[in-house]
Amino acid sequence: MSNETQLRARCQEALQLTKRHGADEVEIYAQAARVLSADIEKHDLQTATSQQETMVGVRAFINHQVGFACTNVLDELETACADAVKLAKASPRDVNNVLPAPVPFEPVANLYDPSAESFSISDAVQRAIRMIETAEAIDCRLVVGGGAFSSHLQMRCIVNSRGIELTEKSSLFTYHAIVTAKDKEMVSNMAFDFDASHSVNAINVVPVATRACRDALGSLGAERGESFVGPIILSPAAVRDILVEVLAFQLNAKNVLRGASRWGDSLGNLVASTSLTVTDDGRLRNGVSTKSFDREGMPHREVHLIESGVASQLMHNTYTSVAMGASNTSHSSGSARSVPNISPTNLLIKPGIPSREELIGGIKQGLLVSSFSGSSNPISGDFSGVAKAATLIKNGKLDRPVTGTLIAGNVFEVLQSLSGVSSETERVFSSVLPYVRLEGVSVTAE
Amino acid sequence: MQELLARIVSHSSGWIELRFQERSTKQIVIRNGILEESSSKRIQGIGVRALVDGVFGFASTTDLTERSILRTMAAARDAARTSSSAKKHRIKELARATMGVGTFPVATSDPLDEHSLEEKLALVTKIDERIRGGASTIVSSYSSYAEIQDEKIIVTSDGAHAHVFVSIPEFRVMAVAEMNADQCFGQKANSVAGGWSDLFSQLSPEEMADYAVRIAVEQLTAPHPHGELSTVVLDPGLVGVLSHEAIGHTVEADVVLGGAITADKMNQKVASELVTMVDSGASEHSPFAVGTIPVDDEGVVTHKTTLIQDGVLRSYLHNRETAAHFGVEPTGNARAFEYSDAPIIRMRNTYIEPGNASFEDLIAGIDDGYYMCGLGFGGQADSNAEFMLGVHEARRIRKGKIGELVRGATISGNAFDVLRSVDAVGNAFHWGLGAGTCGKSQPAKVDAGGPYLRCKATIGGRQ
Repeated sequence: MSNETQLRARCQEALQLTKRHGADEVEIYAQAARVLSADIEKHDLQTATSQQETMVGVRAFINHQVGFACTNVLDELETACADAVKLAKASPRDVNNVLPAPVPFEPVANLYDPSAESFSISDAVQRAIRMIETAEAIDCRLVVGGGAFSSHLQMRCIVNSRGIELTEKSSLFTYHAIVTAKDKEMVSNMAFDFDASHSVNAINVVPVATRACRDALGSLGAERGESFVGPIILSPAAVRDILVEVLAFQLNAKNVLRGASRWGDSLGNLVASTSLTVTDDGRLRNGVSTKSFDREGMPHREVHLIESGVASQLMHNTYTSVAMGASNTSHSSGSARSVPNISPTNLLIKPGIPSREELIGGIKQGLLVSSFSGSSNPISGDFSGVAKAATLIKNGKLDRPVTGTLIAGNVFEVLQSLSGVSSETERVFSSVLPYVRLEGVSVTAE
Repeated sequence: MQELLARIVSHSSGWIELRFQERSTKQIVIRNGILEESSSKRIQGIGVRALVDGVFGFASTTDLTERSILRTMAAARDAARTSSSAKKHRIKELARATMGVGTFPVATSDPLDEHSLEEKLALVTKIDERIRGGASTIVSSYSSYAEIQDEKIIVTSDGAHAHVFVSIPEFRVMAVAEMNADQCFGQKANSVAGGWSDLFSQLSPEEMADYAVRIAVEQLTAPHPHGELSTVVLDPGLVGVLSHEAIGHTVEADVVLGGAITADKMNQKVASELVTMVDSGASEHSPFAVGTIPVDDEGVVTHKTTLIQDGVLRSYLHNRETAAHFGVEPTGNARAFEYSDAPIIRMRNTYIEPGNASFEDLIAGIDDGYYMCGLGFGGQADSNAEFMLGVHEARRIRKGKIGELVRGATISGNAFDVLRSVDAVGNAFHWGLGAGTCGKSQPAKVDAGGPYLRCKATIGGRQ
């Protein structure tokens, strides 16, 4: 992998080349990455892989016209610079196409663990095996159908013609297990669990495998459920699938500019129950998406998106902040392979006071949805799909696992009637989310 | 490059697979009259897979010198060796196969490179404008063009020496309509394995735009369906999605070995006898299917694989490892998306064979049901064949006639139950899943389709 000085020199060279080809403003974003992975398939170790790549993305601006090209063929970097200029020349002018100027900031600590350098393919293999062994120790009916342990070592560098010149090194270890329980004719749903860490010492694959095994066993023997309209409790994973994607879409300033978000004019207005507070924190300690700066070199910070049900802030990158006259929230996302987009970093729903058990205790007839397989339309808010690993709630207690149960409703409506947020939270990829109680959801047993 | 790879392989010991790939992509995205992206990408590299002590190891590099390739081969062997002590089931052998040798060019008379960036940009701009002007309730428009062009050289120590070219253009439109703060969308996307004019051989970009606008507007006043088990007619697009998502993944041999519901169903009746399902590396019945590959990424010449014959499960989808395990011939389903991906079992063009019924006959027999077209938001299936698909255009059928639209509909159930309920198969055939990508630890360009199909499925809606 290139060192920091080499990568920075490459980026500066590309910036000058792009200017020489006719660009008046230029951004170069480069990522040099080494990824080691050990995959699990059908309860056995699969192919161990080692990958290394340096990718350079070039954004060329000519009188507010923009073109983007990227390549991993570093000996032909000038071709990408020339391509970006050619694409810019053919593009329409848009005065909102500008680059940001440097902003001082304190880098996030502990993103990079030097011992990750010596983390080997053999170390990755050992962690993957540990997940299989964990499942075997729990129950012989469990099959780790899929999974992986990956070690990511990355250096990224951004330079632009307005003076930004930043590099950051990071290490990230990600691991997941997909577990199915099989007992004679009965096959459970595929249960998935994931975790991650930036340091070697914090890696712990056992809880991940254990949770996936628990969920798989829990859905074994599930039978037909009941049809009703009433309360449901979403697990953190189901919260992500049903609510978070719609929230992220609606609070994305790009979608407001596109006319696809109904919350563009709702800042300062109540859009959800007062028990909902949503923040996004790109500097979250040990967050999966934690970095010092975004895809355009703007420093990450904690941003309050919804406070006690009131929409308080949209997520912006440079383009939308200029176009809407708003402050840049440093939500520019993407890799060196792509033009900057807008995405949440580490999205958090603030935990509430009642425990999960207390949320369940208040329900006479309801459903605990552990995972959701379906669609949640970010524009209309309509969601509909199969409640996976769902458990009926009867008289304040978990009753029995059910299968093939459809749930349907509208996110905008259930956000208003959201009646409980648990004190417990779980990491779901880059989000940290609680259990949430929704009202008036249509539940249909097949 | 071909000669270099062949020379390196001929001097190496043990089983080795070298795969060079150069990929060029272009993308133009316009939304609401604003150019969101005009980009080009060029990546190249070599992926190396080694088999040592019955275990695969994989490594990749972007440095195409002989020294670097040899170093990457050593890394792949090291990865294999490292895993070998822990591997429970070692590969005893790779199944024998007909290995691809020669050059496999793109079959088109209208190559993408003969159309300029300006021409492509002008078309995307024009269609975006057409969507915005399509109706007074349209508040957002989207139009995009993307293309992938690949050159691959696959050389293995047991005989593959294939030089493969791929060309896949894609055109996509979306319209968002709004009324009383309520928003609905309509969309259409098409993609082919072929050239520029092949992309629009079935539907012009203007027709795609007009369809997206019509559906977005019509949904604004459409009611939600009731949740119920119902007789439905699925269009070829949804038949393709069902075949791919809900059945196809459960017959991928690696998924089968991981505990899929099909694991003990071989040669058993799993569907109506009217159903014959195929996965093929060729584009049968209709040209330009996106999953068309003459040779897979293990260098194996692809086959037409009949998965379900007259309702009986007859085959899984294999790479050379699983084919040896099951004692069958490889089906040519090992695929890798980029040079840095190791080949895994993926589908190609998955479809249900057409039958005899006319479209009118399919609808006429339904007193109360739904006509379902295209994939809407979302689609997922498990290895137990439970599935849920968002439907883009769902209409009521009453007394043999197609009627009003319903919004936010889904269909769900167990895919094999749905296939067992098939009582009529249409005689038309279309591909419908070429746009977008299939995800299974790495992307893949696939296609799927079939005829119109009458069956029973659970409609998701409101209680």
